Amino acid sequence: MSGHRVAAITRRLLQGFRRDRRTLALLFVAPIVILGLLGYLMRGSSSAPEVGIANQDSGPLGAIVADGLRSSSHIKTTDIDATSGDARLKDGTLVAYIVLPPDFSQQAQSGNVAPEVHLEGSQPGEETPVVQALQLSMITLALKVAGRTVNFQPKTTYLYGGPDYDTLDYFGAAFIGLIVFFLVFVITIVSFLNERTQGTLERLMASPLRRGEIVVGYMLGFTVLAVIQSIEVLVFALAVLRIHNQGSVLLIFGMEALMAIAAVNLGIFLSMFARSEFQAVQFIPLAIVPQVLLSGVIFPVSTEPAALQWLSNVLPLTYAVNGMRDVMVKGADLTSSSLQLDLGVVAGFVILFIAAGTATLRRRLA
Amino acid sequence: MSESFAVSVEDVSRSFGRLKALDGVTLRVRKGEIYGLLGPNGAGKTTLIRLVCGLLEAQSGTVNVLGQRMPQVAVLRRIGYMTQQAALYPALSVEENVRFFAAINGAEDGVKEALQLVQLYDRRTSVVQTLSGGMRQRCSLACALVHRPDLLLLDEPTVGVDPQLRVQFWESFRQMAASGTTIIVSSHVMDEADRCQRLGLIQYGRLLAEGTPAEIRAMGGSQNLEEAFLALAGTGTDS
Repeated sequence: MSGHRVAAITRRLLQGFRRDRRTLALLFVAPIVILGLLGYLMRGSSSAPEVGIANQDSGPLGAIVADGLRSSSHIKTTDIDATSGDARLKDGTLVAYIVLPPDFSQQAQSGNVAPEVHLEGSQPGEETPVVQALQLSMITLALKVAGRTVNFQPKTTYLYGGPDYDTLDYFGAAFIGLIVFFLVFVITIVSFLNERTQGTLERLMASPLRRGEIVVGYMLGFTVLAVIQSIEVLVFALAVLRIHNQGSVLLIFGMEALMAIAAVNLGIFLSMFARSEFQAVQFIPLAIVPQVLLSGVIFPVSTEPAALQWLSNVLPLTYAVNGMRDVMVKGADLTSSSLQLDLGVVAGFVILFIAAGTATLRRRLA
Repeated sequence: MSESFAVSVEDVSRSFGRLKALDGVTLRVRKGEIYGLLGPNGAGKTTLIRLVCGLLEAQSGTVNVLGQRMPQVAVLRRIGYMTQQAALYPALSVEENVRFFAAINGAEDGVKEALQLVQLYDRRTSVVQTLSGGMRQRCSLACALVHRPDLLLLDEPTVGVDPQLRVQFWESFRQMAASGTTIIVSSHVMDEADRCQRLGLIQYGRLLAEGTPAEIRAMGGSQNLEEAFLALAGTGTDS
């Protein structure tokens, strides 16, 4: 092994990077951005969920439990009327509410308490702090009703999901859409870049083809692939993995198709800013990873720090993920205003990306 | 401007940033003529061709092609453009490539004829990425002429093509010109220049001289076209 020859290779490599400022920036900026974002998301997120308390107890013991819940650090509490509970779970202002029934004091005296725990249920694990807080206040209760052991048997109901609903159900709904979006994006950006580097785009532009025809042709071609992929992903997710689905399969499919079309046009648009496949792949850590972190796939948008929530709310993926969950977890149909918003925003971004993709076709050749 | 000109370029300039790629070029190409654009690398030949087929717009001056002021989408159907690199889809077969370019020009009936012309009919099912450089060049030519254009723009078409095939290429160019097709071909190979009816010498974005090969020889004061060219190019650098 010749040190001189090895040094030549090393030098050649570093010389190339010196001219490729973008790769250098990526190498040193992207890790800070991604780690910083992750840190801000995890440390800055508010962890205590909002829980409603409806104390209907005619005796004195319900108030003791309610006080115990209010002083808990696991949850943030508000007093509510039991009849408004479900509506507040639906609009997302509460993740759970606890009802202490009118005969709660008598139940406690007889040794078996059954408070009602109503969970929103779309996020796995959200019941844990609620149950913890309830158990702690039960211990306080047991001390007050001295000399008796109090059996604690909460009656749990779920607005969405259910006792069998697990982490995969929650993430799966979002990932079905994300997989399609991500893969279609990568394939489009690379093949459109090839079109340019192999010179065929120049030929297309010297032909009677119009720019819109190129964009629509691309869109249809990739949509065919994306549709087949979507069907495969859906069948696997629903039939093999048995991911929880409450909604219409057609709606899920429509949402996926919309995301695929958005990805195609985003790919055409971003391919303008890349000179090589290498640079195209660099868009993944810069354009895709932060979007995935901020879109609510992993960390719910509502628990993000306020500044990041603002950012999340202007990202198309946020609405796509929310829409997929609305359909699959909550069984939303087209009458749901939340799903209408999601579909509307994603469709709006599709139009924006189509316009941007078409516009860049002219500039890239000038 | 007379209708007998297929292409007329009038006092055209085009810069890219600070680089003046074309600087006040005027030239006219007659219908059915084979016109050779000669000049060293970076002289402005490709820029001129891209202006003629509407990929670029002139910053000053006018470009008229087949009676229409460029850029003009309607004329593009009547132009065939063979780029410098063999611009093809590597994952498609020869025939699939030619058929694609035929389809976007609305001329799918010309596929077989084009393949036969470049002698790739027997290899039509071969995938382009498995072909040699010369075969790709032939396939690229077939793509450029499959819609029987009235004006054929060839940007260094014979690079990487072996001598026998080069002779065949020029024979087909002559036949096409005889049947009325106007051909503009750029080259820096002098023995090809001799096969053109008229030549334009380009250097530093300017047209140095124009005429038949014989006239160019006379202007440059040499029986050898290459020497004549170098003599003319030498006067060009002084100005």
